[in-house]
Amino acid sequence: MRNGTTLLLLAAMALAGAACLTAWGAGPVVAASLEPTDSGAPSAMVIFPVGEKPNPKGVGMKPVVFNHLIHEKKIEDCVTCHHTGDPVSCTTCHTVEGKAEGNFVTLERAMHATDIARRDKGNTPQSCVSCHEQQLRQRQCAGCHALVKPARNAAWCAVCHTGAPSMSSQQMQQGMAGKLPQAQNEALAAEVALAKKPVEYLTGLQAPYKVVIDALAEQYEPSVFTHRRHVSSLMERISDDKLAQAFHTRPETLCSTCHHNSPLSATPPKCGNCHTTNIDPKNPTRPTLKAAYHLQCMGCHKAMKVGRPLNTDCTTCHKQRAPQRAD
Amino acid sequence: MNRRKFLTILGSAGVVSALGTAKVAEAGMHTFPYYADSYGVLHDTTRCIGCRRCEEACNKVNNLPKPEKPFTDLSVTATRRRTTAYEWTVVNKYEMNGKPVFRKLQCFHCNDPACASACFAKCFQKQPDGSVTYDGSQCVGCRYCMVACPFYVPGFQYDEAFDPLVQKCTFCEPRLKEGKLPGCVEACPVDALTFGRRSDLIKVARARIADNPGKYVNYVYGEFDAGGTAWMVLAPAAEGAPVPADSPAQAAPDLKQLGLNTHLGNRPMGELTYGALGAVPMIVAFWPVLFGGAYAMTKRREAISKLEQEKVLKEAREDVAAAVDAAVRKIEETEGEGAAERARRAMTEALKAREAEAACSKHGEDK
Repeated sequence: MRNGTTLLLLAAMALAGAACLTAWGAGPVVAASLEPTDSGAPSAMVIFPVGEKPNPKGVGMKPVVFNHLIHEKKIEDCVTCHHTGDPVSCTTCHTVEGKAEGNFVTLERAMHATDIARRDKGNTPQSCVSCHEQQLRQRQCAGCHALVKPARNAAWCAVCHTGAPSMSSQQMQQGMAGKLPQAQNEALAAEVALAKKPVEYLTGLQAPYKVVIDALAEQYEPSVFTHRRHVSSLMERISDDKLAQAFHTRPETLCSTCHHNSPLSATPPKCGNCHTTNIDPKNPTRPTLKAAYHLQCMGCHKAMKVGRPLNTDCTTCHKQRAPQRAD
Repeated sequence: MNRRKFLTILGSAGVVSALGTAKVAEAGMHTFPYYADSYGVLHDTTRCIGCRRCEEACNKVNNLPKPEKPFTDLSVTATRRRTTAYEWTVVNKYEMNGKPVFRKLQCFHCNDPACASACFAKCFQKQPDGSVTYDGSQCVGCRYCMVACPFYVPGFQYDEAFDPLVQKCTFCEPRLKEGKLPGCVEACPVDALTFGRRSDLIKVARARIADNPGKYVNYVYGEFDAGGTAWMVLAPAAEGAPVPADSPAQAAPDLKQLGLNTHLGNRPMGELTYGALGAVPMIVAFWPVLFGGAYAMTKRREAISKLEQEKVLKEAREDVAAAVDAAVRKIEETEGEGAAERARRAMTEALKAREAEAACSKHGEDK
């Protein structure tokens, strides 16, 4: 055994390395990887449905893990959200039942209200949803979101109301009473925030290159729709958008603007599968095929302020067909 | 006229006025039929792009004369054109809260058309399919329909020397009968014109307003205006404006910019005149009977009294003649034949003189 010492040494080093990666490193690695905030606030926190009433069974909405870091970078001023100017947590004044400090505005309203009246003096408060809806008016979002209203369904709620997998029911109860220690709250939040991975979207490369729209060609030549170019262009614009990443939860989400009202799929039905050339007696109010094309294409172009084509310049998309000869 | 005649006429007049008021009360309920299954078109001005395809299609399907400027010239939308006898629909550009908005003008096809209520030749008809059609065969060219229309739609063929007609959008009624869409609706590339049952379209309009808060003025123009119209209009709201209540007063400032009057009220225009116009046939039918009857009665009484008078006179005359005969016979017996002859002549002359005097005095009375 001439090399026994070396082997032992190597084995010991390997063991030590493995131990480092698993046992010791676990806590510190997680804590270190969330970037600290400029304001000094926690980078992420769990927002519990804090209530005044006794709640021994711990029944409540799933808590929200709020990534303070991402949101802080997006806004100019803390008072955008901390509308009183005092950077306390939201649940200090807005509880599930509402209390005098928060003008009896409940936590639910404070987070979701979209019809907030403009204040004559002082800062007009924003809710999570009202601010997010404003973001949808940005040029890169407006194209799709002028046509599509995100469904307010369970999936929509679940984007924020994730809860924390490792949270115990005791911690939940403490949180809802507003008594969970700060360190535990931050640890739970950091765990969820770090586990979050953006979805792998379908890309333009997986979609058709060009689509010839010839179902209605009569007065004009068929329109050649650069499908891949359109998809890629849309994806590129929102590639760094965290809001889009959070709410576009499925690989096919972006497809569902044009291929709307059908189940999400990588091979969605064509426009003509639902939109008929003439009025469909079974669905008399559904736009006809010609209208469906123009409403989708030009609706998006208008919302994204695409200069070309003018909506009255027909021949940009489909060339004028030469007059048919009689013979 | 005696007392009895006067009372008779007064009573008849009372009956006539009672009938008249009954007619007015009935008009208050409704007169023209409202067809529940009728068709309509919803014009969504937020979608309209002012391409004039509808004008072109209208011109084509109705074989109207070629316009001066081609339909590809979109600059004409800048002038506020009106519908004419040869342009049954026009698209105009309006400045609405600082933004250009296009609106198509055509006959609104009222549920209870004012043109029909004004036409005494019954040229206009509200059809069960929702269209208001015009049949010029009875038209006298009075153009009351053009005065009556609250939307200034019907046009008159002023250039026709012989038999000029009133012309307006027909809702492509002949095409509807064939199962085709109106020309303009078929041509619209962006579904700014949605064809359907009027009752469905109201639901569609409400759904569009509800699903897009802040996009539309919260008012469906034509749902109730002028008693309801088959063609209805949705207008875009000013950006960031609070959503007002659904009332004509609230919507008026916005709709006015789009050339839409909200002061027409929610009752049909014709209701203002049905009472008076409804009494016209009754007057035409009843007054001749009433006054003719009164005249005939008076005449008959005069004739009867004249007859009676003559009878009395005749009897009196016969009496006098008999008395004269008796007197003459007596004189003949006592005085002889010559004296009797003289006496007869004298008596006859005296009677004639008296009658002449009576006639003269009667004549004098008349004067």
